[in-house]
Amino acid sequence: MESTVLRRHEASLSAEHEELRSAFSALFEKECPPERVRASEPLGFDRDLWSMLVATGVLTMSLPHGAGGDGGGLVEAALVAEQLGRRAAPVPLVEAIVASRALARADPSRIATLALHPVAVGARQLVPAGAVADVVVGLEGDELVAFASADAPTPVDNLGSAPLAWRTLSGPGVRTVLARGGEARTGFEVAVREWKVLMAAAQTGVAQGALDLAVDYANQREAFGVPIGAFQAIAHALADVAVGVEGSRHLAWRAAWCCDHEPAVAAEAALIASLHAREVANRAATVGIHVQGGFGFTLESDMQLFFRRAKGWTVVSGDAYDELLALGDLRYGTQG
Amino acid sequence: MDFGAIEFDGELQRFRDDEVRPFLDEQLGDDVLARERHEGNGFVPAYQRALAARGWLEPWLADRPSGESLDPVRAAVLDSEQAVRVGPLFPVQGSHALVMQVVRQFGSEALKAELADGVGAGEIQACLGYTEPDCGSDAAAVRTRAVHDGDEWSITGQKMFSTGAHLCQFVMITARTNPAVAKHQGITMFLVPLDSPGIDVQGIGTLGGERTNFVYLDDVRVADRYRLGPVDQGWAIASGALAAEHGMGNASTADRRTAELRDAIASTAGWQGTLRDVLAAAERWAASTTRPDGSRVLDDPAVRVRLARIALDCTVSEFTPNPFRRVVASDVFVRDVADLVELVGPAALIPGGEDGAVEGGMIEWAHRFAQGTSIYGGTTDIQRNLIAEHVLGLPRHRAVLRR
Repeated sequence: MESTVLRRHEASLSAEHEELRSAFSALFEKECPPERVRASEPLGFDRDLWSMLVATGVLTMSLPHGAGGDGGGLVEAALVAEQLGRRAAPVPLVEAIVASRALARADPSRIATLALHPVAVGARQLVPAGAVADVVVGLEGDELVAFASADAPTPVDNLGSAPLAWRTLSGPGVRTVLARGGEARTGFEVAVREWKVLMAAAQTGVAQGALDLAVDYANQREAFGVPIGAFQAIAHALADVAVGVEGSRHLAWRAAWCCDHEPAVAAEAALIASLHAREVANRAATVGIHVQGGFGFTLESDMQLFFRRAKGWTVVSGDAYDELLALGDLRYGTQG
Repeated sequence: MDFGAIEFDGELQRFRDDEVRPFLDEQLGDDVLARERHEGNGFVPAYQRALAARGWLEPWLADRPSGESLDPVRAAVLDSEQAVRVGPLFPVQGSHALVMQVVRQFGSEALKAELADGVGAGEIQACLGYTEPDCGSDAAAVRTRAVHDGDEWSITGQKMFSTGAHLCQFVMITARTNPAVAKHQGITMFLVPLDSPGIDVQGIGTLGGERTNFVYLDDVRVADRYRLGPVDQGWAIASGALAAEHGMGNASTADRRTAELRDAIASTAGWQGTLRDVLAAAERWAASTTRPDGSRVLDDPAVRVRLARIALDCTVSEFTPNPFRRVVASDVFVRDVADLVELVGPAALIPGGEDGAVEGGMIEWAHRFAQGTSIYGGTTDIQRNLIAEHVLGLPRHRAVLRR
């Protein structure tokens, strides 16, 4: 009989984690109201907010001591990313943290990002934060490179009002090879995994943000003489979203914890967190629009900010179906 | 935060390999489990007594002044080893724990003294009697009457879905003691000895193969010491115990602490564990079955994606915390097992023991069994009400009904 692996499921936050979480919750609530998110569109980047964020030291928080960081890990970064997502904050923090970890250094004066897909030499791809990044880290051929293009990137309008741009990893500019061959592929895999984990946390926040708006609306809006939240058709849909958000949050924490402490199981944990967070965030926002009814379909409602970022921030990494296939490969080996 | 694997150091491994497994081999042999699957009694009394004799009754099942007691990690090892063998066959263990929690919190000293030895020895088991033919999710709509008569109570009514009542010693019931007040206010709780004159227990077969029961009470005489908590105040106690069953917390501090410690270890018990077992059965089938063209079923990307989707659902269930887990664990169980029946195809329809049954008929059984999980202990819809009202702060839906 196979022995079952018993795992701890100790999801409580330490006092430090609670403090970090509430500090960034307060910061984003105060500094990033919906008006500021709207004002950043269509580019999806607010330089003042970014400077303020960098000044908090959040970028170096998750770097090892040896690389000039505070020795924190992905768990800390995930706690911040969730708060960012909850306010749909127009700052490329997820990308910058992941790229800084890949570079093993953080330069507060320059924005670094990660190109999420391996490409042939010279090929371009749509890069998250590519419209505002000075440095793009990515896998080109069998080289993990950091490329600072001489040409300013051209922002591309997109569903999520994310600062996307078509970027290459070579051409005119400064191109640094960080690693080659197996080491390069491994380094790239780890970076993409970390991006997915932090994005799962951010999407948990997106889902929470949409749920908060929907619950407020359901408590205030009256129909047939009662608040619409008293109707189970509304209440149960929102309860299901709440179930999804709680799972999404815990899976993101778990994936971040695995990245920090148990890399052997991190790949699977990251895929699971990503898949669930993507599904939950999209459902939260679509349910949110539906609960708000006609108002939810107008641009006046802030729900659309969350709706557009659910797909808009995630699909840049690829198809969720491919994540399921990858999960299958992890479980059953590559197809025989 | 800690999601790490629990290291089986030498001592823990010895506990599992030299103590738990031989014990389970002896107590829960194939013949015992085959009979239990067939009869669906909800627990095996001899096994509970053997657990007690080893000092392995769960810490919250009995306050024993002395003797061995399992720490949370060892209790989780025992739990998981038991779950691997019996899956969800022993629901009475859970209802007994719930009843004992209420007894410890609200029972008279005389009652606790009377029960202590028997409970500690695993000789006394208790089941639940909230539900009535006309009182399910609306658990306060109790019709069973209890009338005070001298030092005792006369109880008359019908309870149903009392799983284990045909083998238990007690049933914890809600009864109406004051029909003149609002329905939530006139309820009192009792622990009724099942060997009392006037009690008739009749079996009810279920789709999942479990035997549950009607408990008919006809002028059953119960001494006042069997009352749990104040007269007419039973609803708060019953709903507290319901909330505990729903994972909403509200147990005594000591019970909650133990439960938290246990909950801190990702449990393989519960439906999320059962779904994992069914998935493993389907995976073994897919790995060992070939298509007419000679290809292995498990190498078909469409199959891999369906199985991976279910593996994802299992993990989602495991890591979604209470009180949210109850909804998702049941939802995905129902949906995913139905998909596995389709995936495996005609052979998935054959029950265990028949020619051509897949993995002992596990998928066929699970498809039936899963349907009950969204109902018992309060439906998932009631759970959604609780989440909407108590977590999200939405208005009570019953406000609509009152208009």
